Amino acid sequence: MRNSRSERAGYLFILPWFLGLLIFTLGPMLFSFVLSFSKWDIITGIGSIEFVGLDNFKAIFHDELFYQSLKVTFIFALVSVPLYQIVSILIALLLNMRTRGMKLFRLIYFMPSVIPAVAVSMMWIMIFNPEYGILNRALAWFGIEGPAWLQDPSYALGALIVMGMWGVGNTIIIYLSGLQGVPEELYEAAQLDGAGSFRRFMSVTVPMISPTIFFNLIMGIIGGFQYFTQAFVMTNGGPLNSTLFYNLYLYNKAFVSFEMGYASALSWILFAIILIFTLIVIRSSSMWVYYNGDDERD
Amino acid sequence: MIMNHHKWSLGRLLTFLLLIVGAAIVLVPLLWTVSTSLKSPAEVFQDSFFPKEWHWDNYKNAVTAIPFFLFLKNTLIILIPVMIGTVFSSALCAYGFARFSFKGKRFLFLVLLATMMLPGQVTMIPMFIIFKEAGWIDTFLPLIIPSFFGGGAFNIFLIRQFMRGIPKDLDEAAFMDGASRWSIFTRIMLPLSKPPLIAVSIFTFMGVWNDFQGPLIYLNSTTKYTLALGLSMFKGMYNVEWNMLMAATVLIMLPAIIVFFFLQKYFIEGISLSSAMKG
Repeated sequence: MRNSRSERAGYLFILPWFLGLLIFTLGPMLFSFVLSFSKWDIITGIGSIEFVGLDNFKAIFHDELFYQSLKVTFIFALVSVPLYQIVSILIALLLNMRTRGMKLFRLIYFMPSVIPAVAVSMMWIMIFNPEYGILNRALAWFGIEGPAWLQDPSYALGALIVMGMWGVGNTIIIYLSGLQGVPEELYEAAQLDGAGSFRRFMSVTVPMISPTIFFNLIMGIIGGFQYFTQAFVMTNGGPLNSTLFYNLYLYNKAFVSFEMGYASALSWILFAIILIFTLIVIRSSSMWVYYNGDDERD
Repeated sequence: MIMNHHKWSLGRLLTFLLLIVGAAIVLVPLLWTVSTSLKSPAEVFQDSFFPKEWHWDNYKNAVTAIPFFLFLKNTLIILIPVMIGTVFSSALCAYGFARFSFKGKRFLFLVLLATMMLPGQVTMIPMFIIFKEAGWIDTFLPLIIPSFFGGGAFNIFLIRQFMRGIPKDLDEAAFMDGASRWSIFTRIMLPLSKPPLIAVSIFTFMGVWNDFQGPLIYLNSTTKYTLALGLSMFKGMYNVEWNMLMAATVLIMLPAIIVFFFLQKYFIEGISLSSAMKG
């Protein structure tokens, strides 16, 4: 029932979003694009924006800290994304069993994901404290002398990865709902065919939750490139730039040294990287993601 | 049958044990934080898990050492309008996308989905410059105003998916009876869309309560700080008095945990729905 009155009403209802798109997304994108080819320190007025062509990008490709921040972010993403997925799937499998008290367990496992990142950071600064932190005290029971964690360049990034594992509640929820969508008959059929529990997991569960894995992989990669608060609060990129995440470097360039053009160029490189990774995952998805016939087309 | 039953119990026992170990890993850091927040300064450095004496006054000292209630007030000044703006404007746009057909709708909806992929960093710098030119730096406006313009692509998507599931007969019947589109929206669609609206409210609450980078960029004076930003400054300001720092940490965690406890059903449904956008 498309008529002009109804059409107008439709436009009116989406108007707030459309205005927002222009003012807070497309406009700024255009501005940022121009800025990435400019030199500007923001302190002097907008009139002093100076067009410098590809200079920012050239400088970035000779910038050691840029490569360091890429390295940190890639290591984090390559280790943490698969690690968190595996841990989350295993926990979701456990939480999917029908046992008494499961509600309480679910509550406990999900809880860390609602705690503000700043609070989590504060908590773990203390946990990682080499002298009186609970982690090294626990290790000491086993006769292990723990490292200085956040103060040791070779452990700091690892410490953040370990900490992140504590907060995978969101991912667990998504896997759990994926698991609950697997039809019981499939397991029964597989069992009748003599498949053991590992076999059932590999040939029923994994294909059935592959769309969920796919979704979480993309979110994980994007998350790695946007990692900020914990790195800012806990290590501020140190020691020796060992936790200089890409987003933190970008922040420093924009809001500490006020190199707005340079930082804008960094943000477009970030966008390109995220886009490339997402496209790789999407492109490859036809090979390993199984879609049940029931998804709606619109 | 009996064999089967036995196998099950063994499996269950193992599951149960694993779950308990995992739950301990989750809970011990939290308990330790709470226990540290109740210790005396000297005891923080000792090897005891629980405090010998419970120093509740740490909390009293913490809320005065950092201006806790001022930061809370600032957080609420941002939170309340953002929640109203987000929920209302995302529902409005969701209704537009769910129930009307207009030229370019498919394309606009694709654009909406595409904006979810855009990292906030790309717009962060130009937005800062725009707000600076508008004289809004060190005010709450940059953190509030954008929420009134659509309330976020993901939220629109979430509510729109739900609204499409509401039988069309309901609003069509009302339309035949002469109800305006607006009253169909406020009297029929909004009340029926409670689950996604609550989910969006919770996400918005969590988002504002947790937001760190936004306040860090836009707020300069300490008197304008939000709780999340204030807590991080606390670490730098006082040569770390751990017990008080942990007391402040607990105070910031608590509202998020309480909201989660009471509204967990909606919270979990909302997160589950988020992965349904894979198609």
